[in-house]
Amino acid sequence: MRTSVSWLLFTAVSAAALGAGAAGQPKPKPIWARNAPLPHGFNAGEAFPTIALPSAADGRPVSLAAFRGKKVIVNIFASW
Amino acid sequence: MDVPVWHASLNQLEKDGKVAVVAIVQDQHPDRARLFLQWKQIGWPTLADSLDLLNLETVPLTLAVDEHGIVRFTELPMSAAKTIEQTFVNQTYPKPAALPPADAPDLPALKAATMRNTAPAWRAYGDALSVWGSGSAWSDVIGAYQRAAERDGGDGLTQFRLGSAFRKRYDSPARQPGDFQDAERHWAQALEIDPNRYIWRRRMQQYGPHLATPEPFFDWIRDARADIASRGETPLALVVEPGDSEYAKPGAGVTAAKLPATEPDARGRIRRDRGEFVSVETAVVPSTAAPGETVRVHLTFRPNLRTKAHWNNEVDELMYWVSPPRAWTTDRRAIVAPNAPTAVSQEPRMVEFEVKVPDAQEPGAAAVAGYALYYVCEDVNGVCMYRRRDVSVPLQVSASQKTTKR
Repeated sequence: MRTSVSWLLFTAVSAAALGAGAAGQPKPKPIWARNAPLPHGFNAGEAFPTIALPSAADGRPVSLAAFRGKKVIVNIFASW
Repeated sequence: MDVPVWHASLNQLEKDGKVAVVAIVQDQHPDRARLFLQWKQIGWPTLADSLDLLNLETVPLTLAVDEHGIVRFTELPMSAAKTIEQTFVNQTYPKPAALPPADAPDLPALKAATMRNTAPAWRAYGDALSVWGSGSAWSDVIGAYQRAAERDGGDGLTQFRLGSAFRKRYDSPARQPGDFQDAERHWAQALEIDPNRYIWRRRMQQYGPHLATPEPFFDWIRDARADIASRGETPLALVVEPGDSEYAKPGAGVTAAKLPATEPDARGRIRRDRGEFVSVETAVVPSTAAPGETVRVHLTFRPNLRTKAHWNNEVDELMYWVSPPRAWTTDRRAIVAPNAPTAVSQEPRMVEFEVKVPDAQEPGAAAVAGYALYYVCEDVNGVCMYRRRDVSVPLQVSASQKTTKR
């Protein structure tokens, strides 16, 4: 995966948008998402998929539903 | 690859229990991501999505999900934790009227649904088996996806997941001959259906020929291991070590002095091993190439465990000599696979090289010949001998330049 250039790009776009979101106003899609829409469950206001995925440590299925009751930052990436 | 810029901001919030961070990695080999997190001393729980069950086009992606499981933000600010704390962590969000249940599929019901013999039913069964099936279920996963693909050949997701399942089985004790090549074939088909899928494209590229600017997929692993060891820790062991194709700068390994300047057995005088001691498996990425294109050849040599054959590591390493057809070019003629540090061993030995199809090559089946020379011993305390294993690597030359750039 490329270095933090891509991280800086989309997080920089979001600074003002985060405030707008908190105020309930619609925020523009980030540049990278305008032609590559996210699937259902990955957009603001939608329920994140509860599909279970195997733990990278031991292969046991784990669902994001297991984290309910807590605020979660989901960081999806690849080590390349 | 680097740590997200928001990590330091969230660190204290995590320690205070105000927020959790969960990593989902899109690697074919998710243990490499765990090594990265160990290197950066990050303790996020990590889930693996090697089959792209989340159906994402690209990474990275960071979401803020509230306590009810609802996505609130699709990006995080660069600024300090106070912003995240004020605008997300300290917010109280309304509980939805209905929440989707936690995923715990009814495998028998999903299997019964396949009686309808539809592509969606078979794919759903394959998806569930890939997560909830037993450790030896990859053959069953492959079977389910194959049936889905037979009924809907135009579904890129099924093709990608089928390819990833083949590669999972290839890396498991249940490996079948041809699994790696089948993985590549289905990934190629997936990209042909939807060439905009960045994750799928990278999956092919990591095993394919070096691009014009070689991609440092996993060059960071060397630094990671050195840094971790310098801290007095043991780096997490990888199930599958990256091959040369996955490094922009493959390891120095063998010095030029060990590589023969001329063909080592031009007259074919070394006795042949026809599989009694060592088997060889070939995979070509991509398996179909147009004139002028380059492919990467992966060869895996495995001692025959049934006869207790093993490498003799006290003599020269395995050496592979490439004999491309006339007008074909290769990045190197001789490749050496290093010995293990022990006196004898039985590990598979991998050799990779690249071959370019001539511009004037006629379409159809082609083959790249070569042979390996190695020292192998038979049975425990058995006879050790020097043998030659001839190899013919098949590939298909297409009629025209591909429109989908790899």
